[in-house]
Amino acid sequence: MELSGWDAAAVCAKAITYAATLGAAGAIFFLGICGSLLQEPQRSRIRHLIGILVLASTLGTGAKILLMSATMSGDLAGMFDKAFVLMILGAGEGLASGVRLAGLALCAFALSSNQRFRALAPAGAAIASVSFAGVGHVHGLLPNVAPSLLLCLHLLCAAFWLGALAPLLITARDRNDSQIAAVAERFGKWALGLVVLLLSAGASLLWTLIGDAAQFWSSDYGRMMVIKLIFVAALLGIAGVNKLYLTPRLLQGDSKAFVRFRRSVQTEMVLGALILLITATFTTVTGPPR
Amino acid sequence: MLKQAILAVALSGAMLAGPCMAHAKLQSSVPSKDAQLTEPPKTLTLTFNEAAQVAVLKLIGGGKEIPIAVDKNAKASPSFTFPLPALAPGSYTVQWTAVAADDGHVTKGSFAFSIRA
Repeated sequence: MELSGWDAAAVCAKAITYAATLGAAGAIFFLGICGSLLQEPQRSRIRHLIGILVLASTLGTGAKILLMSATMSGDLAGMFDKAFVLMILGAGEGLASGVRLAGLALCAFALSSNQRFRALAPAGAAIASVSFAGVGHVHGLLPNVAPSLLLCLHLLCAAFWLGALAPLLITARDRNDSQIAAVAERFGKWALGLVVLLLSAGASLLWTLIGDAAQFWSSDYGRMMVIKLIFVAALLGIAGVNKLYLTPRLLQGDSKAFVRFRRSVQTEMVLGALILLITATFTTVTGPPR
Repeated sequence: MLKQAILAVALSGAMLAGPCMAHAKLQSSVPSKDAQLTEPPKTLTLTFNEAAQVAVLKLIGGGKEIPIAVDKNAKASPSFTFPLPALAPGSYTVQWTAVAADDGHVTKGSFAFSIRA
């Protein structure tokens, strides 16, 4: 597996787009589920974060297309080669990016002071999240729609989980122990089922794309998937500690648990970023062996 | 409800197993990789494992790039044939870059052939 400077830049743009899109969508879902437990300044900070992430995702989407175009020629001129850009757009990236930008436009309504407009944001969050299913290895399996539907489910659950981490940290910033305990408890109730769905959908997709256990160590795609799974297992372990150990102690008013909770959410964010970076890498520079 | 959803996901996964296209890979070429030709080829044919578009094609011989016309607006296809100029005896390297039509991934590769004097 060779990785040029342009390939690395395209992978980074893709990872930023993943993180920003799923982050914005997850923050919108978080507001929908836990918003009533928050105070207005906290909701306002989370909406501000959504605005920044929507902008980052929009810029990342554009940068990714230009950098993919540059990888073709291996120089700066390729980035602005109209024919290269049209090839990328025509091969699915155009549809996926268009859907994502439409979803992000709806996500931006989360910033509106009008509650009717804000009600459009969750639909935008869902549309932007599933836009990644419009291009890539799973999209290549069409006309079989089942893998694409599974990927949509996987993406929605990933947005819910990973995208809630920054809002959880924002909520924890105010050091209101009883509030963070209530938020962690409500989020944990939703997270349990959705994480199981996320893993089930991911495992089904993995079987479809790899199909042979030997490929986990004999192919670049499989080896990178193993690294991703190790990070996912670590993330699951921390989430499990949060739910089973820290949340009950937060509810009992244990102040040490509050500090540990913040640290564990920060660790989850780092692991989530690494998972998205690995995903961006193996979906760009390698392909499934089957 | 959740158990039913998980079961549905697992069952759909079990029903999914089927062929999956990876990135566009060069299946064959004419001239083929490491071919030793006695006459200069008049065309270069690249055949991929799936429909693709050729974005870049370079033919390098004697340290110089020999221009080959590539229609970047051509429709995606598994196979492309390019007319070649008159080639002198020597060693040549073909460098290609393609975009898979179904997943938009960019792949690159190269191979060599030679023409005997």
